Amino acid sequence: MAYKPQYYPGATSVAANRRKHMAGDIEKMREVSDEDLTAILGHRAPGSDYPSTHPPLAEMGEPACSVREVVTATAGAKAGDRVRYVQFADSMYNAPATPYFRSYHAAINARGVDPGTLSGRQVVEARERDMEEVAKVQLETEMSCPGLSGLRGCTVHGHSIRLQEDGVMFDMLDRRRLENGTIIEDKDQVGVPIDRKVDLGKPMSEDEAAKRTTIYRIDNVAFRDDVEVVEWTQKVWELRTRYGFQPKN
Amino acid sequence: MTNSVSEADNRIQVEIFPQRLLNAETAQMLLSELNKVDGVLKALIHGPRLPTMVSAGPGTGEKVNHPDRKVVQIADTVLELSISVGRIRLEVADADVKEEVRAVCERVLPFPFEYREGLYFHNRVTVSDYAKYGPDADVEMLGLSDPKSHDPICILGSTE
Repeated sequence: MAYKPQYYPGATSVAANRRKHMAGDIEKMREVSDEDLTAILGHRAPGSDYPSTHPPLAEMGEPACSVREVVTATAGAKAGDRVRYVQFADSMYNAPATPYFRSYHAAINARGVDPGTLSGRQVVEARERDMEEVAKVQLETEMSCPGLSGLRGCTVHGHSIRLQEDGVMFDMLDRRRLENGTIIEDKDQVGVPIDRKVDLGKPMSEDEAAKRTTIYRIDNVAFRDDVEVVEWTQKVWELRTRYGFQPKN
Repeated sequence: MTNSVSEADNRIQVEIFPQRLLNAETAQMLLSELNKVDGVLKALIHGPRLPTMVSAGPGTGEKVNHPDRKVVQIADTVLELSISVGRIRLEVADADVKEEVRAVCERVLPFPFEYREGLYFHNRVTVSDYAKYGPDADVEMLGLSDPKSHDPICILGSTE
């Protein structure tokens, strides 16, 4: 029998969603074109070539190295792309993902990425085309709800603020808004206007967001309702505490 | 300290905390209705800022044009909302006015809200107030302004 990783304990819907995010077993829910993605990321003009920071590896004449022979370079590294970032913010009001699970998803399912996990935002740094691949997956699948999560290179504090009247996460820079039932983004992730209106799709309903979220909340699925998760959290806590206790004398 | 509101006063301070941030139209409607209630003595609106320009990151200096940054009219006074209204704190004359305010909120707000009594405006002169206003500070104005804001306190019905 083939080995199947057991990413996360728990029997609740939140635990199941956490496992799905980590395993990359996520449902595609919307389509964002490559040009639209490039526009809202804001690193280069849509349709332009990827700027490079060094010549393609094939032209560089790499030194003989057993590690280089074992590890295949990613597409971005092969082409010599610049390192660029994508940063997401997810609302605490039942957004599908959280910074930790975006990081787990990127680190487990993509190569050559450097995920950074913060309290209210999550950044992935990688070669430009590798980063775009991760961003596209996270944006188009159930990991994101256009209303409850968003690309935010700066000013991310909407994640911890109450939702707006229309159920959309507050954005001080008004990068995207609800128009005729769908979320329209007309600025890039740092708030610079772009030359198009990118349709990010319909936001999830409250019930759907509650079903797809990876956040334990007392008003949805409470952390303490998941006995197995509590047990494992306490076990990890105890083991790391014991390991950290190292009397010198 | 002698600069304080009389302790014999029946004044009550309350906070309205809606479940959602109010958009400009709802905020205007609620503030207008609250203005019609006799006995509302002070009001303070609070919420996340709606800046006119991007202030951090590579987009610094770009205009924001947030749709909720609107000019609203309350009674005869026109003011620009520079925040998204998240909570409203009031000082009201007595317990009857408090219940009237609750009824207004139930009528105007399309979603649930928390309504609680507490101490939200300080009513004695602090060292900061002394530094800002000097020894003759008007106690009615205490705690009404954001120390970081350059916007003046709005007195409804006043031409200033």
